[in-house]
Amino acid sequence: MTDRKAQAGSLLSSEISPGLPWIPVSAQMHDHAMVVAGVPARKYYWDAKTFVQTYREVATYYGMDIIAPASDVYNFEIEAMGGKLVYSDNAMPTIDYRDPLIKKPEDLKKLKTPDFYKDGRLPFALDCIKLQKSKTGRFCGIFSMAVGLRSYPLLIRDMRRRPEFVDSLFNFIIDDVLLPFFKAQKDYCGITTAYGADAWACVPNLSVKEMKDWVVPYNQKLARKAEEFGVTAWTGSGDYCEEDLDKFDKDAVYGCFDIQLASRGGNELTLGMGNWHIYPLEPVREYTDKLRQQGINIFIRAGVNARVVRDGPVEKIIAIIKRYISTLARDHELTIWLANIPADTPAEHVHAAVAAAHTFGHKPLVKDLNKVKVEVPRRETFQEWKMKSRVVK
Amino acid sequence: MPDILQDLKKAVLEGDDEQALKLVRSALQQGIQPITLVNQAIMPGIQEAGILWKKNTYFQSDVIMSAEAFRMAMEVVEPLLTAGEVVSSKKIAIGTVAGDMHNLGKIIVIAMLRGAGFNVIDLGEDVPVDTFINTVKIQKPDILGLGCYMTTTMLEMKEVLKNLNDSGLRGQVKVIIGGVPTSQEFADEIGADGWGKDALDAVYKVKTLLGVS
Repeated sequence: MTDRKAQAGSLLSSEISPGLPWIPVSAQMHDHAMVVAGVPARKYYWDAKTFVQTYREVATYYGMDIIAPASDVYNFEIEAMGGKLVYSDNAMPTIDYRDPLIKKPEDLKKLKTPDFYKDGRLPFALDCIKLQKSKTGRFCGIFSMAVGLRSYPLLIRDMRRRPEFVDSLFNFIIDDVLLPFFKAQKDYCGITTAYGADAWACVPNLSVKEMKDWVVPYNQKLARKAEEFGVTAWTGSGDYCEEDLDKFDKDAVYGCFDIQLASRGGNELTLGMGNWHIYPLEPVREYTDKLRQQGINIFIRAGVNARVVRDGPVEKIIAIIKRYISTLARDHELTIWLANIPADTPAEHVHAAVAAAHTFGHKPLVKDLNKVKVEVPRRETFQEWKMKSRVVK
Repeated sequence: MPDILQDLKKAVLEGDDEQALKLVRSALQQGIQPITLVNQAIMPGIQEAGILWKKNTYFQSDVIMSAEAFRMAMEVVEPLLTAGEVVSSKKIAIGTVAGDMHNLGKIIVIAMLRGAGFNVIDLGEDVPVDTFINTVKIQKPDILGLGCYMTTTMLEMKEVLKNLNDSGLRGQVKVIIGGVPTSQEFADEIGADGWGKDALDAVYKVKTLLGVS
């Protein structure tokens, strides 16, 4: 692990307030925040001030410890290059995968670097980062952007039949889209780090081998080039999202972890959007134990599956968080991550998750977490809370 | 089995759509019956892809290529089948709900269902509630499949179920849902009859709901 990687690995930790007395909680929840606050989608996803303020308020209402408002990060670059999106009154904009911008390989030549200050909703994306006063920028990962530009079936076919075209496409994304985007984020927002969402690059969408061949080398190339002008770029590729517990494969998990470390350039692993509430956690420990023997301590972001957060019940959510903390928190830096809270999730489920993390995760950790009882607070609605907050101010 | 059928099965299994097309055309020129191509090569090819998926040998990238090869082969062969050779009398209408453009899962589910012998009507993506209702009214499918990818658009599924109830059509069709944000709990909550956690599971649930082996 290089110095750059070691440094990057501490970036997530640095988002956590020092001296926090418990295991911190964060969430991806853009759609949920919109619905809870009752903000129309056409305002929320276009007006940066509304987006950042709404997201922050809802996260504060829940008592999140890390608040990093991220919007529809897979869309901006593609939309700005002329990609077709579908807009709605009550949902996030979405790429029309039926009508990709690159219908045939020759179309790649027609694509141009967007004007980051004018095209599509890129000004919104830049303003969102600037308003957060964060040093961390956002981008769509290379593989996911390629899917958005070409569609998944066509891109997979290209990977098998026209590898030279895929190489050109990925290099275009690096040199003509992402590096200039980082420069704009640096100039306009003062970022020093950029985090790329890359949900398409996961198992089972791709095999570990496909990710090693097609995802990691380009993520690393992007990171090297970004480093030249002072931006540390890391991409969130390599999530393990197998649906079927019967198909859980420890080797594939290890492969994904290798990809995460290679792509994220740090010492952080994310147990992301998959079914980690039912997957065994022992393989995670075995993997990190080996690294610990080499002097590398791993920071773990443990995701609570979106469907579980939505469906509940509260007791199940609490039990999952207890298991994460009990198994992983004693010898890892741990955060609990509510992985994309669905729009209509009952507020009490989120309150329960936060209460569980703060209670079980209260430092120093109690030896036997079975003796710890979580009191889920009876809370007012977001609207009542907001009203009270205004009165107090 | 003639070599060409084996080669065609292999082309579908390995997701080589160009080769599959070539072999279908060549087999037809040789006088092999379209139904033979379907039953002995094209369907077994996609079915084996499903088995390899289940065994963790195939990933989504492999399955989507098989599904595409299957689709392209069937596009040539299907119009040549006679009425008596229609693979199944059981009809399934499937679409992605309004506001949602994601079609990857649906492409694979459709290929797997067709590969299992069902007659599938693809309603497309971004399908309004009314289209689902009218399809049930007019085409009378045995199963209505609803897909989504976003946590906001999954709420459209509730609307479809509500409208089926309100229009008195609920009793004549089984409803199965699928897609990343959905779950068995959500299926139960909105009153769907089943939830497919992946394409193969969807086929299994459809068979169970229809009582076919």
